[in-house]
Amino acid sequence: MSGEAFDVVVFAPLAPIFGLILFWFIQLIFIEIQKSLLNQLRSSHDALIRFTNFIGIFFQTICHALGYTLTRSGISSFYLSVDYGKVDPKKKKSGVFEWLVNMFLFVGPFFLPSFLLLAYFFLLSNDAFTIMAQSEFTFAENFIGFGSNLFGFTKDLVFFLGSIDLFHPGHLGFFLLFILLGLGIRPSYIGKRPVKKVDMFYDLKNIRYNILHKPVYVLIAILGAYIFSYLNVFFGQSLYVSMFSFFGWASILAIFALIYAEVLLFWVYVLDDLSVGFRVLTLLTLPLSYILLRILFYLLSWPFAAQIGFWGSVSITVFVTLMLLYRLTNKFKTLLSMNSIRGTSGGKK
Amino acid sequence: MEEDELLNQENVEKRLSPHPLSFMGLQSLCIFLIAWGLIFGWMINFSDFRELFENVLLQIAVWGLVLLVVSIIASIIKVMWRIFFLYLSVVLVALGLIWWLNLFDAIGLFLPVYTVIVSIIGFLLVELFRRSHKYIISNQRIVFKGGVITKEQRTLRYDKISDVNTKQGILGQIFSFGTIIPISQSGFGLGSDQSFAGGGAHGSGSKRVGLFGFFGGGREVQTPRTRSYYELHGVYPFKEIRKMVEQLVQGSEISQYQKQQVDFQEEQRDFQEEQRDLQKEMKDLLKKQKNQSKSKEE
Repeated sequence: MSGEAFDVVVFAPLAPIFGLILFWFIQLIFIEIQKSLLNQLRSSHDALIRFTNFIGIFFQTICHALGYTLTRSGISSFYLSVDYGKVDPKKKKSGVFEWLVNMFLFVGPFFLPSFLLLAYFFLLSNDAFTIMAQSEFTFAENFIGFGSNLFGFTKDLVFFLGSIDLFHPGHLGFFLLFILLGLGIRPSYIGKRPVKKVDMFYDLKNIRYNILHKPVYVLIAILGAYIFSYLNVFFGQSLYVSMFSFFGWASILAIFALIYAEVLLFWVYVLDDLSVGFRVLTLLTLPLSYILLRILFYLLSWPFAAQIGFWGSVSITVFVTLMLLYRLTNKFKTLLSMNSIRGTSGGKK
Repeated sequence: MEEDELLNQENVEKRLSPHPLSFMGLQSLCIFLIAWGLIFGWMINFSDFRELFENVLLQIAVWGLVLLVVSIIASIIKVMWRIFFLYLSVVLVALGLIWWLNLFDAIGLFLPVYTVIVSIIGFLLVELFRRSHKYIISNQRIVFKGGVITKEQRTLRYDKISDVNTKQGILGQIFSFGTIIPISQSGFGLGSDQSFAGGGAHGSGSKRVGLFGFFGGGREVQTPRTRSYYELHGVYPFKEIRKMVEQLVQGSEISQYQKQQVDFQEEQRDFQEEQRDLQKEMKDLLKKQKNQSKSKEE
C-alpha cells in the first residue's frame, strides 16, 4: 500500500472531524467568555440574565424533545420555565436510543439553533454555501476542502453582516435572531435553589460521560464516518467533507453571533456607570442614528447607504458612549487619577 | 387610597400597579401593526418585487386582508372577537380616509404612516389603561381600583377570600411580575371555559325518504379568571406580593391549633363555672348547717 493510499484509508476521514472539533471548541471558549460577562452583569441586570437563560433552556429542552421524538420514544410531559426545562418520554428506551437522546441533549444545543439560523441565511444569501470539489481525498485535501468551504462561507457571512440592511424585513429578522442566538446559545444556570452552574466544564463533563459511558457507540459512529468517507472516495464525491462543513458553518455562525452578543453585553456593562437617563439616551442613539442616516442617504441618493448607515450609526453610538463616559464618569481616570485614590498603604482609600 | 378612605386601625401595606410589560397581549396587537406598517411600506416602495404592487387597489387589498386574516387568527386563538372588530375598524377608517381625502395617488406613503400612527395611538391607550389600575393592600383588605373613564372599585376582605390563584408567564418569570387572583367565597374571580361540539346529518334515499339528525354537547369548566380591575394584575415583585397576600389571608383565619385552644379555653371556663357553683352550694350548705346547730343550742 502506497503512502497516499494509507493516508486516504487511515488519516483522511479524520481531517474534517478534527476541523469540526476545533471550531466547536472555539465556540465553547466564546460561550465561556459570554458567561463571564453575564456574571459581571448578574447583580444589576437580573432580568437580562433570566432572559438569556430562558433562551438557552428553551433550545436545550427543544433538543431533548427532538431526541425523544427522533428515537420514537414519544413525549409524555414537557415543562419549560426560565430556570428549568424537563422532557419526559412515553417509553424509556435504553441502549443506543438513550445514548442518542443524551447526545441531542448535550451536543444538540450547540448546533440546532445555528442550523435554524443557517436555513434562514440560506434564504438571504445562497452564494455562501459553496462546496470545493475533491479529487485525491487525502488528509491534506480533506482538511483544505473543509477549510475552504468554511472560508467561503465566512467571507460571505462577514460581507453580509457588514452590509446588512436593517430596513429590509428579512435582514432585520435575521439580525434579531442572530443576536438572540448569540445571547442564549447555552444557559448560565439550571434550577432555582441550589442553582447548578452551566459552564464549559459542565458541558465537557456531560459529553465525556456520554462518550466513556458507551464507547462502543462512539466507535460505531467513527466506523460509520470511515465507511461514508470510503464510499465518497469510491464514487468520487465530496459529500463527506460537505457533511462536516455543514456543522462547521453552523459553528462559524454561532461564533459570530456570540461575538456580536458579547459586544452588546459589554456595551450594557459599560453603560452601568451612567445614570438611567443617559443610559437610555445612549441606547436610543443606535436605532435613531441609523434611521436618520438612512433617511439622509436616501434623500441624497448616496450609494452604499445600508453599509454606511449601519457602520455610521455604530460609530456614532461608540463615540457618544465614550464621550458620556469621559465627561460624566471617572471610567478613564481623568477626573481623579489612580494615585489620588490610593492610600499610603497601597490600598484604596 | 386617601387617608379618609382608611377604616379603623387600617394600615396600608403596599400600593401597586401593573408592570409595564404585563399587558403584552394588548401591546402585541400594536407591535404587529407597527411591524406590518413598516413591512408593507418597504414592500411596495423599496423591495425588489414592488412592481407587483403597482395597482393601487391591490395595495389596499393586500394591506387590509393581511390585517383582517391576522385578526381572525388572533381572535380564534384568544377567543376574543374584539381583536377582529378593532382591526376591522382600523381598516374601515383607513378606507374612509382614502376615499374622503382622495389619497389614491399616495397610498404607498399613506398606509404605512397611518398604520404606524394607529399603533402608536394604540400603545398610548394601552399605557393609559395600565396606569388606571391601582391596587392597595392593607392589613384588613385589598382594594382594586381601575377605569379610564368609568371608575370601578372592588374591596375584598381577607376573611372572604377562599382561594388564591396565581399566574406567571414567561415574560413575568423574566421580569419578576405575575397575576394574583383572589377568589371570594361567592365565586367572584372565577370565569368559565366553554366548549361545544355539534354535528348534523341529512340523507335522502331514492324513495324521497329524508332523514335528519342532530347531536351536540357542551362543557363548561370553571377557571380562575376575571378582569384586570378585579385581580392583582401583573404585580411586581410577584413572589413577595404573593407571600404577603397569603400571609394576610392566613392571618385572618383561625387555624386548627387556634381552634383547639379556643375549645380548650371554653372547657376550662365551663369547668371553672361548675367549680364556682359547687363552692357556692358548699358555702350555702355550711351556712345552713351552722344555722341549724345554732338553733339546736338555743
